[in-house]
Amino acid sequence: MTASPLALDKLCKESNMERKSLILVVVLLCVPLVLFGQEAPSESKTEKIAWHGTWKGGLAEAKRTGKPIMLVSAVPQCHSVPGVW
Amino acid sequence: MDRSFLADKDVISASRKFVCIRLATYENAEENEVLKGFFARGGNLENTVFTLLTPDGKTKLVTAGRSPAWAFGGVSGRGINAQPEESIKKMGQTMEAIALAYPGEGKAAKGSPPLPYLADLRLALNVTAADRQPLVVVFSKSAKERKKMEQKLSKLAWSDQFIGDAQYVFASDASEFKSVKKFKMNSGFIVIQPGTFGLTGEVIDVIDAQLSADKLVEPLAKALDKHKPSTLTYDQHRQLGAQAGAHWKSATPNTDGLSRRGNGWRPRR
Repeated sequence: MTASPLALDKLCKESNMERKSLILVVVLLCVPLVLFGQEAPSESKTEKIAWHGTWKGGLAEAKRTGKPIMLVSAVPQCHSVPGVW
Repeated sequence: MDRSFLADKDVISASRKFVCIRLATYENAEENEVLKGFFARGGNLENTVFTLLTPDGKTKLVTAGRSPAWAFGGVSGRGINAQPEESIKKMGQTMEAIALAYPGEGKAAKGSPPLPYLADLRLALNVTAADRQPLVVVFSKSAKERKKMEQKLSKLAWSDQFIGDAQYVFASDASEFKSVKKFKMNSGFIVIQPGTFGLTGEVIDVIDAQLSADKLVEPLAKALDKHKPSTLTYDQHRQLGAQAGAHWKSATPNTDGLSRRGNGWRPRR
């Protein structure tokens, strides 16, 4: 059985549509990868606590915002050698 | 200081809902008294203190002690200890629960906080060396100019891009930089690489004081990226520092262990 030109044309269009759909799916699948790739630096960033360095400054900020306080104190030396907690 | 609690991602996430204050023990007489009000066995301030407080700074919300282990369980003792997972989890959960009870007050809670300054440049070099972080100095002889600079920099300091990445101090006189190499007298945002032992520093970059907050982002990111943290272990640091004669004298007497040792006062750290 041979296909009519009209049927072939329809088949081609359907095939093109399938191909386009396939490309679209691949692109959509790749988008998150690309986005994650772009965001990789921020994800790999080592998060750290942001400290206020004085009681006066920190307390004023806690009172201003109504946020609770995490208070830590430590000595920046070991056996008088500085530069270490 | 116990890093395993404070390095945990859930604890850090919860910390964003708190005002986090870290003091340098024995460096300020008034702060010593504040700390003693929360934890001081026998009335003596110890090397380390940890607690969580109400926003007015008056009421303890957990047991105060030398480290989070006193409140949440875990390993206590000298140095940095690896903590049990359940203790760290308990700390994060407790902080989240407290944050629900004290969610902050409207616009003020959402606005940009002021720059989280350290007390002075000398102490800031030491603290940033201990944290292995860069230091940003807001330097200008003019108080008016410094205020403008602070407003611009604070927006960045608390932004997702920069939060926790550096520490800050202001300076108004060039004489404060006597331990800092490559310092020039011009005002600006001076990014400094602290020396390994925190007694010296070297200028990494100077960013124009006149730049807008938006224009500050790129040069600040580049300057902070140039910082090279020390890779020494705790013991290597202590040994090399002793060999190099690196010596720190606290501003007030060290009273750690005084209660446990009776009358024989002997400073430890």
